[in-house]
Amino acid sequence: MSMSTTTSTTDVIRIENVSKRFVLHKDKSLKERLVNFGRSRAHKDDFWALRDVDFSIQSGTSVGLVGANGSGKSTLLKAIGGIITPTTGQVLRRGRLAALLELGAGFHPDLTGRENVYLNAAILGLTHDQVDGYFDSIVEFSEIGGFIDTQVKFYSSGMYVRLAFAIAVHVDPDILLVDEVLAVGDEPFQKKCMDKIAEFQREGRTIVFVSHSAEQIMALCDRVVVLQHGNVVFDGDTEPGIAALRRSFDH
Amino acid sequence: MSAASERAARLATLPFESASTSGVGHFTGFFRSIGELWVQRELMGLLVRRELKAKYKDSSLGFAWTLIRPLVMLLIYYFAIGKILGAERAIPSYAIFVFSGLTIWGLFAAIVSSGTSSIIANAGLIKKVYLPREIFPLAATGSAIVDFLSQFAILVIATLALRQPPLHFELLGIFPALAVTVVYGTAIGILLSALNVYLRDVQYLVEVGLNIFFWVSPIVYSFAFVHNAILSTGHPILEQIYLANPMSVAMLTFQRAMWIAGQDPSAHTLYPPNLDLRLLIMLVIGLVFLAIVQRIFSRLQGNFAQEI
Repeated sequence: MSMSTTTSTTDVIRIENVSKRFVLHKDKSLKERLVNFGRSRAHKDDFWALRDVDFSIQSGTSVGLVGANGSGKSTLLKAIGGIITPTTGQVLRRGRLAALLELGAGFHPDLTGRENVYLNAAILGLTHDQVDGYFDSIVEFSEIGGFIDTQVKFYSSGMYVRLAFAIAVHVDPDILLVDEVLAVGDEPFQKKCMDKIAEFQREGRTIVFVSHSAEQIMALCDRVVVLQHGNVVFDGDTEPGIAALRRSFDH
Repeated sequence: MSAASERAARLATLPFESASTSGVGHFTGFFRSIGELWVQRELMGLLVRRELKAKYKDSSLGFAWTLIRPLVMLLIYYFAIGKILGAERAIPSYAIFVFSGLTIWGLFAAIVSSGTSSIIANAGLIKKVYLPREIFPLAATGSAIVDFLSQFAILVIATLALRQPPLHFELLGIFPALAVTVVYGTAIGILLSALNVYLRDVQYLVEVGLNIFFWVSPIVYSFAFVHNAILSTGHPILEQIYLANPMSVAMLTFQRAMWIAGQDPSAHTLYPPNLDLRLLIMLVIGLVFLAIVQRIFSRLQGNFAQEI
Protein backbone atom coordinates (compact mmCIF):
# COMPACT_ATOMS: atom_id res chain seq x y z
CA MET A 1 0.00 0.00 0.00
CA SER A 2 2.54 2.55 1.12
CA MET A 3 5.17 1.36 -1.32
CA SER A 4 5.86 4.83 -2.64
CA THR A 5 5.56 6.88 0.55
CA THR A 6 8.58 5.21 2.04
CA THR A 7 10.81 5.84 -0.94
CA SER A 8 10.30 9.56 -1.32
CA THR A 9 10.46 12.58 0.90
CA THR A 10 10.56 15.02 -1.98
CA ASP A 11 7.77 17.54 -1.66
CA VAL A 12 6.09 18.34 -4.98
CA ILE A 13 3.19 20.39 -3.63
CA ARG A 14 3.35 22.69 -0.62
CA ILE A 15 0.11 24.19 0.54
CA GLU A 16 1.05 27.00 2.89
CA ASN A 17 -1.65 28.49 5.12
CA VAL A 18 -4.11 28.66 2.28
CA SER A 19 -7.42 30.40 2.93
CA LYS A 20 -10.01 31.25 0.35
CA ARG A 21 -12.90 33.62 0.90
CA PHE A 22 -15.76 33.74 -1.55
CA VAL A 23 -17.95 36.77 -1.86
CA LEU A 24 -21.37 35.99 -3.18
CA HIS A 25 -23.07 38.86 -4.94
CA LYS A 26 -26.77 38.49 -5.08
CA ASP A 27 -27.08 41.25 -7.65
CA LYS A 28 -25.26 40.65 -10.86
CA SER A 29 -26.47 43.45 -13.13
CA LEU A 30 -25.61 47.12 -13.09
CA LYS A 31 -29.20 48.13 -12.47
CA GLU A 32 -29.46 45.97 -9.40
CA ARG A 33 -26.14 47.28 -8.12
CA LEU A 34 -27.20 50.88 -8.58
CA VAL A 35 -30.55 50.31 -6.98
CA ASN A 36 -28.91 48.58 -4.04
CA PHE A 37 -25.87 50.85 -3.93
CA GLY A 38 -26.27 52.15 -0.39
CA ARG A 39 -27.19 48.77 0.95
CA SER A 40 -24.59 46.75 -0.91
CA ARG A 41 -23.40 45.15 2.36
CA ALA A 42 -26.73 43.44 2.74
CA HIS A 43 -26.47 42.06 -0.78
CA LYS A 44 -23.10 40.51 -0.26
CA ASP A 45 -22.44 37.25 1.47
CA ASP A 46 -19.03 35.95 2.13
CA PHE A 47 -17.81 32.71 3.53
CA TRP A 48 -14.51 30.91 3.86
CA ALA A 49 -14.27 27.92 1.55
CA LEU A 50 -10.82 27.11 2.92
CA ARG A 51 -9.37 28.10 6.27
CA ASP A 52 -5.62 27.91 6.99
CA VAL A 53 -5.03 24.69 5.09
CA ASP A 54 -1.41 23.72 5.45
CA PHE A 55 0.20 20.47 4.32
CA SER A 56 2.63 19.06 1.78
CA ILE A 57 2.34 16.27 -0.74
CA GLN A 58 5.36 14.10 -1.51
CA SER A 59 6.42 12.81 -4.88
CA GLY A 60 4.90 9.46 -5.80
CA THR A 61 2.02 9.54 -3.32
CA SER A 62 -1.65 9.25 -4.16
CA VAL A 63 -3.66 11.55 -1.97
CA GLY A 64 -7.43 11.54 -1.68
CA LEU A 65 -9.15 14.79 -0.78
CA VAL A 66 -12.51 13.90 0.72
CA GLY A 67 -15.29 15.55 2.62
CA ALA A 68 -18.99 16.27 2.53
CA ASN A 69 -20.48 18.50 -0.15
CA GLY A 70 -19.28 22.06 0.33
CA SER A 71 -16.33 21.08 2.50
CA GLY A 72 -13.87 22.83 0.19
CA LYS A 73 -12.17 19.85 -1.41
CA SER A 74 -12.77 20.94 -5.00
CA THR A 75 -11.72 24.48 -4.11
CA LEU A 76 -8.49 23.13 -2.70
CA LEU A 77 -7.90 21.08 -5.85
CA LYS A 78 -8.46 24.22 -7.94
CA ALA A 79 -6.04 26.17 -5.79
CA ILE A 80 -3.43 23.44 -6.36
CA GLY A 81 -4.14 23.61 -10.08
CA GLY A 82 -3.77 27.40 -10.08
CA ILE A 83 -7.32 27.85 -11.33
CA ILE A 84 -8.21 30.02 -8.36
CA THR A 85 -5.91 32.27 -6.36
CA PRO A 86 -6.02 31.87 -2.57
CA THR A 87 -7.12 34.91 -0.57
CA THR A 88 -4.18 34.39 1.78
CA GLY A 89 -1.32 31.91 1.77
CA GLN A 90 0.09 30.25 -1.30
CA VAL A 91 0.44 26.98 -3.12
CA LEU A 92 3.92 26.05 -4.32
CA ARG A 93 4.56 23.16 -6.65
CA ARG A 94 7.07 21.76 -9.08
CA GLY A 95 6.97 19.47 -12.08
CA ARG A 96 4.51 19.21 -14.93
CA LEU A 97 0.89 19.26 -13.89
CA ALA A 98 -2.11 17.88 -15.71
CA ALA A 99 -5.64 18.20 -14.46
CA LEU A 100 -8.48 15.81 -15.21
CA LEU A 101 -10.88 18.25 -13.65
CA GLU A 102 -13.50 17.79 -16.25
CA LEU A 103 -12.80 15.72 -19.29
CA GLY A 104 -13.25 17.41 -22.60
CA ALA A 105 -13.56 20.91 -21.15
CA GLY A 106 -11.51 22.23 -24.04
CA PHE A 107 -13.35 20.42 -26.79
CA HIS A 108 -15.03 22.50 -29.42
CA PRO A 109 -18.14 20.74 -30.77
CA ASP A 110 -17.66 22.03 -34.33
CA LEU A 111 -14.12 20.74 -34.70
CA THR A 112 -13.24 17.16 -35.59
CA GLY A 113 -11.79 14.71 -33.12
CA ARG A 114 -8.37 15.15 -34.69
CA GLU A 115 -8.47 18.94 -34.41
CA ASN A 116 -9.66 18.68 -30.84
CA VAL A 117 -6.83 16.30 -29.94
CA TYR A 118 -4.28 18.90 -31.03
CA LEU A 119 -6.13 21.73 -29.33
CA ASN A 120 -6.76 19.89 -26.09
CA ALA A 121 -3.24 18.52 -25.89
CA ALA A 122 -1.88 22.04 -26.40
CA ILE A 123 -4.13 23.26 -23.60
CA LEU A 124 -2.66 20.55 -21.38
CA GLY A 125 0.84 21.63 -22.35
CA LEU A 126 2.01 19.41 -25.22
CA THR A 127 3.71 20.79 -28.29
CA HIS A 128 2.54 20.02 -31.82
CA ASP A 129 5.48 17.66 -32.41
CA GLN A 130 4.78 15.74 -29.21
CA VAL A 131 1.16 15.27 -30.22
CA ASP A 132 2.27 14.04 -33.63
CA GLY A 133 4.28 11.37 -31.82
CA TYR A 134 1.45 10.36 -29.46
CA PHE A 135 -1.41 10.71 -31.93
CA ASP A 136 -1.83 7.06 -32.94
CA SER A 137 -1.49 5.94 -29.38
CA ILE A 138 -4.15 8.44 -28.26
CA VAL A 139 -6.58 7.24 -30.92
CA GLU A 140 -5.89 3.63 -30.04
CA PHE A 141 -6.39 4.18 -26.32
CA SER A 142 -9.64 6.06 -26.93
CA GLU A 143 -11.01 3.31 -29.23
CA ILE A 144 -12.48 6.05 -31.42
CA GLY A 145 -11.11 4.51 -34.61
CA GLY A 146 -12.49 5.91 -37.83
CA PHE A 147 -14.57 8.59 -36.11
CA ILE A 148 -11.47 10.65 -35.38
CA ASP A 149 -12.20 12.89 -38.39
CA THR A 150 -15.85 13.42 -37.41
CA GLN A 151 -16.97 16.58 -35.62
CA VAL A 152 -17.14 15.82 -31.92
CA LYS A 153 -20.70 17.11 -31.64
CA PHE A 154 -21.72 13.85 -33.30
CA TYR A 155 -19.88 11.75 -30.69
CA SER A 156 -21.71 9.82 -28.03
CA SER A 157 -20.93 10.98 -24.51
CA GLY A 158 -18.86 7.84 -24.01
CA MET A 159 -16.71 8.55 -27.07
CA TYR A 160 -16.31 12.13 -25.90
CA VAL A 161 -14.86 11.28 -22.50
CA ARG A 162 -12.80 8.38 -23.84
CA LEU A 163 -11.03 10.68 -26.24
CA ALA A 164 -10.55 13.31 -23.56
CA PHE A 165 -9.17 10.78 -21.10
CA ALA A 166 -6.84 9.35 -23.73
CA ILE A 167 -5.38 12.81 -24.34
CA ALA A 168 -5.00 13.56 -20.65
CA VAL A 169 -3.06 10.39 -19.86
CA HIS A 170 -0.63 11.05 -22.69
CA VAL A 171 0.46 14.38 -21.26
CA ASP A 172 3.17 12.71 -19.13
CA PRO A 173 2.44 14.67 -15.96
CA ASP A 174 4.44 14.59 -12.74
CA ILE A 175 1.31 15.64 -10.88
CA LEU A 176 -2.15 14.53 -11.90
CA LEU A 177 -5.24 16.18 -10.43
CA VAL A 178 -8.39 14.08 -10.73
CA ASP A 179 -11.86 15.34 -9.88
CA GLU A 180 -14.62 12.74 -9.92
CA VAL A 181 -14.01 11.73 -13.47
CA LEU A 182 -12.95 8.14 -13.30
CA ALA A 183 -16.47 6.81 -13.65
CA VAL A 184 -16.47 7.30 -17.40
CA GLY A 185 -17.31 4.98 -20.25
CA ASP A 186 -18.38 1.36 -20.07
CA GLU A 187 -16.91 -1.21 -17.73
CA PRO A 188 -13.99 -2.34 -19.90
CA PHE A 189 -12.97 1.26 -20.43
CA GLN A 190 -13.24 2.00 -16.71
CA LYS A 191 -10.94 -0.90 -16.05
CA LYS A 192 -8.53 0.50 -18.62
CA CYS A 193 -8.59 3.86 -16.82
CA MET A 194 -7.90 2.23 -13.46
CA ASP A 195 -5.04 0.24 -14.97
CA LYS A 196 -3.60 3.45 -16.37
CA ILE A 197 -3.84 5.12 -12.96
CA ALA A 198 -2.10 2.14 -11.39
CA GLU A 199 0.64 2.41 -14.02
CA PHE A 200 1.01 6.09 -13.19
CA GLN A 201 1.41 5.18 -9.53
CA ARG A 202 4.13 2.64 -10.35
CA GLU A 203 5.92 5.31 -12.35
CA GLY A 204 6.03 7.48 -9.27
CA ARG A 205 3.65 10.16 -10.45
CA THR A 206 1.85 12.12 -7.78
CA ILE A 207 -1.91 11.88 -7.94
CA VAL A 208 -4.42 14.03 -6.08
CA PHE A 209 -7.99 12.71 -6.17
CA VAL A 210 -11.22 14.31 -5.22
CA SER A 211 -13.87 11.67 -4.86
CA HIS A 212 -17.07 10.85 -3.05
CA SER A 213 -16.52 7.16 -3.48
CA ALA A 214 -14.92 5.62 -0.40
CA GLU A 215 -14.37 2.48 -2.43
CA GLN A 216 -12.33 4.30 -5.05
CA ILE A 217 -10.31 6.11 -2.40
CA MET A 218 -9.57 2.80 -0.67
CA ALA A 219 -8.45 1.26 -3.93
CA LEU A 220 -6.25 4.08 -5.14
CA CYS A 221 -4.95 6.27 -2.34
CA ASP A 222 -2.23 5.80 0.23
CA ARG A 223 -3.12 8.99 2.12
CA VAL A 224 -6.40 10.69 2.85
CA VAL A 225 -7.05 14.32 3.77
CA VAL A 226 -10.53 14.95 5.17
CA LEU A 227 -11.94 18.45 4.91
CA GLN A 228 -14.85 19.86 6.83
CA HIS A 229 -16.11 23.43 6.41
CA GLY A 230 -12.79 24.39 4.85
CA ASN A 231 -10.63 22.95 7.62
CA VAL A 232 -8.47 19.86 7.54
CA VAL A 233 -9.93 17.53 10.16
CA PHE A 234 -7.89 14.44 9.34
CA ASP A 235 -4.68 13.71 7.48
CA GLY A 236 -3.26 10.22 7.42
CA ASP A 237 -3.69 6.60 6.31
CA THR A 238 -6.59 5.54 4.17
CA GLU A 239 -8.62 3.38 6.53
CA PRO A 240 -8.79 5.76 9.50
CA GLY A 241 -9.30 8.50 6.89
CA ILE A 242 -12.46 6.88 5.60
CA ALA A 243 -13.64 6.47 9.18
CA ALA A 244 -12.96 10.18 9.79
CA LEU A 245 -14.89 11.02 6.63
CA ARG A 246 -17.90 9.07 7.90
CA ARG A 247 -17.70 10.92 11.23
CA SER A 248 -17.57 14.25 9.42
CA PHE A 249 -20.88 13.46 7.72
CA ASP A 250 -22.57 13.28 11.12
CA HIS A 251 -21.78 16.90 11.94
CA MET B 1 10.25 1.39 -8.42
CA SER B 2 13.39 2.85 -9.88
CA ALA B 3 11.32 4.96 -12.26
CA ALA B 4 9.59 6.40 -9.21
CA SER B 5 12.75 7.29 -7.36
CA GLU B 6 14.29 8.67 -10.55
CA ARG B 7 11.33 10.93 -10.96
CA ALA B 8 11.52 12.01 -7.31
CA ALA B 9 15.22 12.76 -7.71
CA ARG B 10 14.58 14.84 -10.82
CA LEU B 11 11.73 16.72 -9.16
CA ALA B 12 13.90 17.41 -6.13
CA THR B 13 16.20 19.49 -8.34
CA LEU B 14 13.38 21.68 -9.67
CA PRO B 15 12.59 24.98 -7.95
CA PHE B 16 9.17 25.52 -6.39
CA GLU B 17 6.86 27.84 -8.25
CA SER B 18 3.72 29.56 -7.08
CA ALA B 19 0.61 27.92 -8.50
CA SER B 20 -0.94 31.27 -9.42
CA THR B 21 0.50 34.37 -10.97
CA SER B 22 -1.50 36.84 -8.90
CA GLY B 23 0.01 38.25 -5.78
CA VAL B 24 3.59 38.63 -7.02
CA GLY B 25 5.02 42.11 -7.46
CA HIS B 26 3.70 44.13 -10.37
CA PHE B 27 6.99 44.46 -12.16
CA THR B 28 8.08 40.82 -11.92
CA GLY B 29 4.48 39.71 -12.39
CA PHE B 30 4.24 41.54 -15.67
CA PHE B 31 7.32 39.90 -17.12
CA ARG B 32 6.32 36.51 -15.76
CA SER B 33 2.96 36.81 -17.51
CA ILE B 34 4.62 37.82 -20.75
CA GLY B 35 6.92 34.81 -20.43
CA GLU B 36 3.99 32.47 -19.82
CA LEU B 37 2.20 33.82 -22.86
CA TRP B 38 5.31 33.39 -24.96
CA VAL B 39 5.53 29.73 -23.92
CA GLN B 40 1.88 29.29 -24.95
CA ARG B 41 2.18 30.94 -28.36
CA GLU B 42 1.54 27.66 -30.16
CA LEU B 43 -1.70 27.22 -28.24
CA MET B 44 -2.63 30.80 -29.09
CA GLY B 45 -2.26 29.96 -32.78
CA LEU B 46 -4.52 26.92 -32.33
CA LEU B 47 -7.13 29.00 -30.53
CA VAL B 48 -7.12 31.57 -33.32
CA ARG B 49 -7.56 28.82 -35.86
CA ARG B 50 -10.32 27.25 -33.78
CA GLU B 51 -12.16 30.55 -33.63
CA LEU B 52 -11.91 31.09 -37.39
CA LYS B 53 -12.82 27.51 -38.24
CA ALA B 54 -15.73 27.27 -35.86
CA LYS B 55 -17.17 30.66 -36.80
CA TYR B 56 -18.37 29.69 -40.26
CA LYS B 57 -18.12 25.90 -40.04
CA ASP B 58 -21.64 24.97 -41.10
CA SER B 59 -22.47 27.97 -43.28
CA SER B 60 -22.34 27.38 -47.01
CA LEU B 61 -20.70 30.71 -47.82
CA GLY B 62 -18.20 30.23 -45.00
CA PHE B 63 -15.37 32.68 -44.93
CA ALA B 64 -17.07 34.90 -47.52
CA TRP B 65 -19.29 36.24 -44.71
CA THR B 66 -16.26 38.01 -43.33
CA LEU B 67 -16.25 40.10 -46.51
CA ILE B 68 -19.96 40.37 -47.21
CA ARG B 69 -20.75 42.35 -44.07
CA PRO B 70 -18.23 45.17 -44.59
CA LEU B 71 -19.05 45.34 -48.30
CA VAL B 72 -22.73 45.81 -47.50
CA MET B 73 -21.82 48.52 -44.99
CA LEU B 74 -19.73 50.15 -47.67
CA LEU B 75 -22.65 50.19 -50.10
CA ILE B 76 -25.00 51.61 -47.47
CA TYR B 77 -22.69 54.46 -46.53
CA TYR B 78 -21.69 55.07 -50.12
CA PHE B 79 -25.29 55.61 -51.19
CA ALA B 80 -26.80 57.09 -48.05
CA ILE B 81 -24.06 59.48 -47.08
CA GLY B 82 -21.98 59.78 -50.23
CA LYS B 83 -24.78 60.11 -52.80
CA ILE B 84 -27.89 61.17 -50.92
CA LEU B 85 -26.37 63.45 -48.26
CA GLY B 86 -23.78 64.55 -50.81
CA ALA B 87 -20.57 63.92 -48.87
CA GLU B 88 -19.15 62.72 -52.18
CA ARG B 89 -18.92 66.31 -53.44
CA ALA B 90 -16.47 67.30 -50.71
CA ILE B 91 -14.66 63.94 -50.60
CA PRO B 92 -13.34 62.62 -53.92
CA SER B 93 -13.30 58.82 -54.38
CA TYR B 94 -15.69 58.57 -51.47
CA ALA B 95 -15.96 54.77 -51.79
CA ILE B 96 -12.26 54.28 -51.10
CA PHE B 97 -12.32 56.88 -48.34
CA VAL B 98 -15.18 55.23 -46.52
CA PHE B 99 -13.91 51.69 -47.06
CA SER B 100 -10.50 52.65 -45.61
CA GLY B 101 -12.24 53.94 -42.51
CA LEU B 102 -14.58 50.93 -42.28
CA THR B 103 -11.69 48.49 -42.63
CA ILE B 104 -9.56 49.86 -39.82
CA TRP B 105 -12.61 50.53 -37.65
CA GLY B 106 -13.78 46.97 -38.29
CA LEU B 107 -10.48 45.69 -36.93
CA PHE B 108 -10.80 47.77 -33.78
CA ALA B 109 -14.46 46.91 -33.21
CA ALA B 110 -13.87 43.19 -33.76
CA ILE B 111 -10.94 43.12 -31.33
CA VAL B 112 -12.89 44.96 -28.64
CA SER B 113 -16.19 43.14 -28.97
CA SER B 114 -14.86 39.61 -29.38
CA GLY B 115 -12.21 40.31 -26.74
CA THR B 116 -14.85 41.44 -24.27
CA SER B 117 -16.86 38.23 -24.57
CA SER B 118 -13.80 35.96 -24.86
CA ILE B 119 -13.49 35.04 -21.18
CA ILE B 120 -17.18 34.24 -20.79
CA ALA B 121 -17.15 32.30 -24.07
CA ASN B 122 -14.34 30.10 -22.74
CA ALA B 123 -15.86 29.64 -19.30
CA GLY B 124 -15.63 25.87 -19.61
CA LEU B 125 -11.88 25.97 -20.02
CA ILE B 126 -11.27 28.68 -17.46
CA LYS B 127 -13.09 26.78 -14.75
CA LYS B 128 -11.20 23.58 -15.43
CA VAL B 129 -7.67 24.20 -16.64
CA TYR B 130 -5.03 26.69 -15.69
CA LEU B 131 -3.84 28.73 -18.63
CA PRO B 132 -2.62 32.29 -18.68
CA ARG B 133 -6.08 33.75 -19.23
CA GLU B 134 -4.89 36.70 -21.30
CA ILE B 135 -4.60 34.10 -24.04
CA PHE B 136 -8.35 34.29 -24.75
CA PRO B 137 -8.65 38.03 -25.50
CA LEU B 138 -5.35 37.76 -27.37
CA ALA B 139 -6.70 34.93 -29.50
CA ALA B 140 -9.72 37.15 -30.22
CA THR B 141 -7.29 39.83 -31.38
CA GLY B 142 -5.54 37.27 -33.57
CA SER B 143 -8.69 36.15 -35.35
CA ALA B 144 -9.79 39.77 -35.81
CA ILE B 145 -6.45 40.47 -37.49
CA VAL B 146 -6.95 37.55 -39.88
CA ASP B 147 -10.41 38.87 -40.81
CA PHE B 148 -8.91 42.33 -41.23
CA LEU B 149 -6.24 41.05 -43.62
CA SER B 150 -8.85 39.67 -46.00
CA GLN B 151 -10.77 42.98 -45.92
CA PHE B 152 -7.57 44.88 -46.42
CA ALA B 153 -6.85 42.76 -49.50
CA ILE B 154 -10.23 43.83 -50.91
CA LEU B 155 -9.36 47.45 -50.18
CA VAL B 156 -6.05 47.13 -52.01
CA ILE B 157 -7.76 45.44 -54.98
CA ALA B 158 -10.33 48.24 -55.04
CA THR B 159 -7.64 50.95 -55.15
CA LEU B 160 -5.97 49.09 -58.02
CA ALA B 161 -9.26 48.61 -59.87
CA LEU B 162 -10.05 52.31 -59.55
CA ARG B 163 -6.51 53.12 -60.71
CA GLN B 164 -5.60 54.84 -57.49
CA PRO B 165 -2.85 52.59 -56.09
CA PRO B 166 -1.59 54.07 -52.82
CA LEU B 167 2.03 54.12 -53.85
CA HIS B 168 3.46 57.05 -51.96
CA PHE B 169 5.63 57.68 -48.94
CA GLU B 170 2.65 58.11 -46.60
CA LEU B 171 1.73 54.46 -47.21
CA LEU B 172 4.21 53.58 -44.45
CA GLY B 173 1.73 55.18 -42.03
CA ILE B 174 -0.44 52.06 -42.10
CA PHE B 175 2.00 50.24 -39.81
CA PRO B 176 1.90 52.64 -36.84
CA ALA B 177 -1.83 53.19 -37.50
CA LEU B 178 -2.49 49.45 -37.25
CA ALA B 179 -0.20 49.18 -34.24
CA VAL B 180 -2.20 51.84 -32.41
CA THR B 181 -5.46 50.14 -33.38
CA VAL B 182 -4.30 46.72 -32.20
CA VAL B 183 -2.69 47.99 -28.99
CA TYR B 184 -5.72 50.01 -27.85
CA GLY B 185 -8.20 47.40 -29.06
CA THR B 186 -6.34 44.62 -27.23
CA ALA B 187 -5.92 46.64 -24.06
CA ILE B 188 -9.60 47.55 -23.98
CA GLY B 189 -10.56 43.98 -24.89
CA ILE B 190 -8.45 42.51 -22.07
CA LEU B 191 -9.78 45.00 -19.53
CA LEU B 192 -13.42 44.59 -20.50
CA SER B 193 -13.18 40.79 -20.75
CA ALA B 194 -12.23 40.72 -17.07
CA LEU B 195 -14.85 43.26 -16.02
CA ASN B 196 -17.47 41.38 -18.00
CA VAL B 197 -17.00 38.38 -15.72
CA TYR B 198 -18.06 40.45 -12.73
CA LEU B 199 -20.63 42.62 -14.45
CA ARG B 200 -22.38 41.19 -17.49
CA ASP B 201 -23.67 44.61 -18.52
CA VAL B 202 -20.25 45.33 -19.94
CA GLN B 203 -20.87 43.37 -23.13
CA TYR B 204 -23.98 45.46 -23.87
CA LEU B 205 -22.27 48.70 -22.93
CA VAL B 206 -19.52 47.79 -25.38
CA GLU B 207 -21.99 47.60 -28.26
CA VAL B 208 -23.36 51.03 -27.38
CA GLY B 209 -19.90 52.47 -26.88
CA LEU B 210 -18.65 51.12 -30.21
CA ASN B 211 -21.66 52.66 -31.94
CA ILE B 212 -20.93 56.04 -30.39
CA PHE B 213 -17.26 55.91 -31.29
CA PHE B 214 -18.08 54.83 -34.83
CA TRP B 215 -19.73 58.21 -35.34
CA VAL B 216 -17.19 60.07 -33.24
CA SER B 217 -14.34 58.83 -35.44
CA PRO B 218 -13.83 60.29 -38.94
CA ILE B 219 -15.06 57.24 -40.85
CA VAL B 220 -17.95 58.39 -43.02
CA TYR B 221 -17.07 62.10 -42.86
CA SER B 222 -13.67 63.71 -43.28
CA PHE B 223 -11.67 65.64 -40.71
CA ALA B 224 -12.32 68.86 -42.66
CA PHE B 225 -16.01 68.67 -41.68
CA VAL B 226 -15.02 68.39 -38.01
CA HIS B 227 -12.54 71.24 -38.30
CA ASN B 228 -15.11 73.58 -39.86
CA ALA B 229 -17.80 72.59 -37.40
CA ILE B 230 -15.49 73.27 -34.45
CA LEU B 231 -14.29 76.55 -35.99
CA SER B 232 -17.84 77.81 -36.10
CA THR B 233 -18.34 77.09 -32.38
CA GLY B 234 -15.35 79.28 -31.50
CA HIS B 235 -13.84 76.71 -29.10
CA PRO B 236 -10.67 75.35 -30.77
CA ILE B 237 -10.00 73.26 -27.65
CA LEU B 238 -12.75 70.93 -28.88
CA GLU B 239 -10.52 69.89 -31.73
CA GLN B 240 -7.84 68.75 -29.29
CA ILE B 241 -10.45 66.75 -27.43
CA TYR B 242 -11.58 65.23 -30.72
CA LEU B 243 -8.01 64.23 -31.50
CA ALA B 244 -7.51 62.70 -28.06
CA ASN B 245 -9.36 59.68 -29.42
CA PRO B 246 -6.55 57.34 -30.54
CA MET B 247 -8.79 55.77 -33.17
CA SER B 248 -9.31 59.17 -34.83
CA VAL B 249 -5.58 59.68 -35.16
CA ALA B 250 -4.96 56.12 -36.36
CA MET B 251 -7.80 56.40 -38.85
CA LEU B 252 -6.61 59.70 -40.29
CA THR B 253 -3.14 58.24 -40.82
CA PHE B 254 -4.63 55.14 -42.41
CA GLN B 255 -6.85 57.19 -44.73
CA ARG B 256 -3.92 59.40 -45.70
CA ALA B 257 -2.07 56.21 -46.65
CA MET B 258 -4.79 54.40 -48.58
CA TRP B 259 -6.96 57.20 -50.02
CA ILE B 260 -4.78 58.65 -52.70
CA ALA B 261 -7.47 60.96 -54.12
CA GLY B 262 -7.25 62.98 -50.91
CA GLN B 263 -3.70 63.97 -51.81
CA ASP B 264 -4.88 66.02 -54.76
CA PRO B 265 -4.71 69.77 -53.94
CA SER B 266 -8.15 70.26 -55.47
CA ALA B 267 -9.59 67.95 -52.81
CA HIS B 268 -8.77 70.46 -50.04
CA THR B 269 -8.17 67.55 -47.69
CA LEU B 270 -7.31 68.53 -44.18
CA TYR B 271 -5.20 66.54 -41.75
CA PRO B 272 -4.37 67.79 -38.26
CA PRO B 273 -0.85 69.19 -37.84
CA ASN B 274 1.86 66.80 -36.58
CA LEU B 275 -0.24 63.75 -37.36
CA ASP B 276 2.73 61.37 -37.24
CA LEU B 277 3.97 62.74 -33.94
CA ARG B 278 0.48 62.46 -32.46
CA LEU B 279 0.26 58.85 -33.62
CA LEU B 280 3.62 58.03 -32.10
CA ILE B 281 2.65 59.56 -28.76
CA MET B 282 -0.62 57.60 -28.89
CA LEU B 283 1.34 54.42 -29.46
CA VAL B 284 3.61 55.01 -26.45
CA ILE B 285 0.64 55.87 -24.22
CA GLY B 286 -1.16 52.80 -25.57
CA LEU B 287 1.70 50.47 -24.66
CA VAL B 288 1.80 51.85 -21.11
CA PHE B 289 -1.98 51.44 -20.95
CA LEU B 290 -1.65 47.83 -22.14
CA ALA B 291 0.90 47.06 -19.42
CA ILE B 292 -1.33 48.60 -16.74
CA VAL B 293 -4.33 46.68 -18.06
CA GLN B 294 -2.38 43.43 -17.88
CA ARG B 295 -1.75 44.03 -14.17
CA ILE B 296 -5.42 44.81 -13.54
CA PHE B 297 -6.40 41.69 -15.46
CA SER B 298 -3.97 39.59 -13.48
CA ARG B 299 -5.50 40.88 -10.24
CA LEU B 300 -9.07 40.22 -11.39
CA GLN B 301 -8.45 36.79 -12.91
CA GLY B 302 -7.84 35.11 -9.54
CA ASN B 303 -11.59 34.79 -9.00
CA PHE B 304 -12.65 34.05 -12.58
CA ALA B 305 -13.24 30.36 -11.92
CA GLN B 306 -15.61 31.29 -9.12
CA GLU B 307 -17.42 34.24 -10.67
CA ILE B 308 -18.15 32.89 -14.13
